[in-house]
Amino acid sequence: MNQTLLKLERVGKTYPPTVNAGERVRAFWRLLLSRSGQGGSEVLRDISFEIQAGQSMAVVGGNGAGKSTLLKVITGVLAPTRGTISQSGSTAALLELGAGFDPEYTGLDNLKLNAAFLGLTPADVEAKLDDILAFADIGESIHEPVKHYSSGMVVRLGFAVVASVRPDLLITDEVLAVGDESFQKKCIRWIEDYLGAGGTLLMVSHNMYQVQKLCRHALWLQDGTAYAQGDVFDVTQRYLAWHERRDAEDAQRARNTASQSLYGLSELLLRGAVDGQIDFEMGEVLEVVLRLYSPDGRAPVALVGIVRADGTPVYGVASEHEGVEITIADSGHYIARLRFPNLALLPGGYAVRGHALDPEGLRVHDTMEVEFTVTGRSRELGMVRLEHEWLS
Amino acid sequence: MLKILIEREIRSRFIGSVSGWIWLVVTPLLFLAIYAFVFGVIFRARVPEGFAVPFWSWLAVALWPWLAFSEGLQRAAGSINQHAALISKVAFPRHLLVHSNLASVFLLHSIGYLVVLLCVEWFATDIDWLSLPYTFAVIAALYLLALGLGFMLASTQVFLRDVEQLLPTVLLFWFFLTPIIYAPEMMPELLQGLLIYNPMTWWVEEIREALFIGKRAPDLILLSMVIGASVVYAAGRAMFNHLSPHFEDFL
Repeated sequence: MNQTLLKLERVGKTYPPTVNAGERVRAFWRLLLSRSGQGGSEVLRDISFEIQAGQSMAVVGGNGAGKSTLLKVITGVLAPTRGTISQSGSTAALLELGAGFDPEYTGLDNLKLNAAFLGLTPADVEAKLDDILAFADIGESIHEPVKHYSSGMVVRLGFAVVASVRPDLLITDEVLAVGDESFQKKCIRWIEDYLGAGGTLLMVSHNMYQVQKLCRHALWLQDGTAYAQGDVFDVTQRYLAWHERRDAEDAQRARNTASQSLYGLSELLLRGAVDGQIDFEMGEVLEVVLRLYSPDGRAPVALVGIVRADGTPVYGVASEHEGVEITIADSGHYIARLRFPNLALLPGGYAVRGHALDPEGLRVHDTMEVEFTVTGRSRELGMVRLEHEWLS
Repeated sequence: MLKILIEREIRSRFIGSVSGWIWLVVTPLLFLAIYAFVFGVIFRARVPEGFAVPFWSWLAVALWPWLAFSEGLQRAAGSINQHAALISKVAFPRHLLVHSNLASVFLLHSIGYLVVLLCVEWFATDIDWLSLPYTFAVIAALYLLALGLGFMLASTQVFLRDVEQLLPTVLLFWFFLTPIIYAPEMMPELLQGLLIYNPMTWWVEEIREALFIGKRAPDLILLSMVIGASVVYAAGRAMFNHLSPHFEDFL
């Protein structure tokens, strides 16, 4: 049962230059006389791997990494420029949305043609028609031309046909993502069932959860080369980590370019605190002082929030909400003062958070936090005493 | 699979037209009427010695195979480009597209041809129906020739779109250089000798001889036509197979 279904050896693909007519004529003669060409854009380089029967592999990678081209080369839609591909067993591929569907024809006609491409005889199709229609579940639309279909319906029909074939090797590009939740689940269930019965899958997906669930091996393509391949968890984790690092680098770069124009906080003080001990009695006055700075002479927006010690937000307010202008202290520095008279917080641990926002109040640039404790004797429940009266 | 493609090809030509099947017969008949009027009545073209048939019937039996041939070539040439969307997404033997295009054209024209032959029988002259197998063999050879040329044109057109523009003009020239609407004897002496280098001359003459004079037995001429057509077919197919893996790069 350890049969190799697919084997790629140092496969490479270069798209020839086809922009102007002269290049096309040269390419024509070159191909006709079997000479190797030069130039063009290289999209795949030295890809080698094997898929054994029953082993599933996922291809991951960013947009433009060459995933779809790789699948096209494997399925034979494209001829590889270098290297060899050997295949055994039956293969069915779901490459692109609406692959092989003619929009002018009805779903049923297209279904039959597609089934023929996959090697089903008309008698087979007749026998499996009910199953296929039930799987696709698009009702009477099957008699409508495909041009009236939604993309989800097209995928349903395409997948239903492929599913009816049950090939030795199933190849899918990122098409399932188009289907709705219930259809995706149905497809995943079908694939799991198919894999359980010894089927083999080669899939492209950006959904790492799906990849880890369905495949045991993974190939990470990066700029047309195999950046990593092996166990699915190793590869996908490295892939995700790489993306996180890149995001972080992007953010870092953005911060660096903006470092000279940052709004920030230099100080957060609580007034009323005695001897550095930040305890308040219920009903006392809490005064928050924020010192902010601005690089461009425009007053930043100050945001003050109170949270419970466990992080539960209690209240927050921004200077902008209430149309308050922050006063300027000296060049580049601003002071915001906020006073809570008659502190209504119930006893417990709290923190004040101060944030500096840009003048538009869109982005938080800086954050500071000071903890404080509210003391008192109260058996009331919750976080805040609301004004109330008992009626008699 | 080929059957499905042919069916599809035929249906795609009539999809959306109410009376598609009628046009199939009416268009060629109108075409024939125009040619018969212009060349038979205005130019007073005459059938060559040895044929005791009206001009229009003499024209008709050769015109149909030519129509099938030239339309077949044009459709075959465009068959790959026409199905570019399919080729770039589904892996299947591409030669089927050329086959299905050409087969559908020949099938449709065969129906028209039968109608024409019946008209000739009823209104003009007796046709030697027993020579039909021979005629069929000649047309089959023509089909083979068209396939070979179709493969060449289809694979060339993927790379050089000019084929699409050039082909109708070339076919028009070919039409007038073939004794379809005129008798070879009407040509100047010098050119008459050159006519045998035009393969289509052989085909139209064989068909006329079969249907009107009653040539029934295969001979060396048929054999050489079949061999010639086979060579063209083999060459076209080889060229197509050689180039077809690269089609998608250029579509």
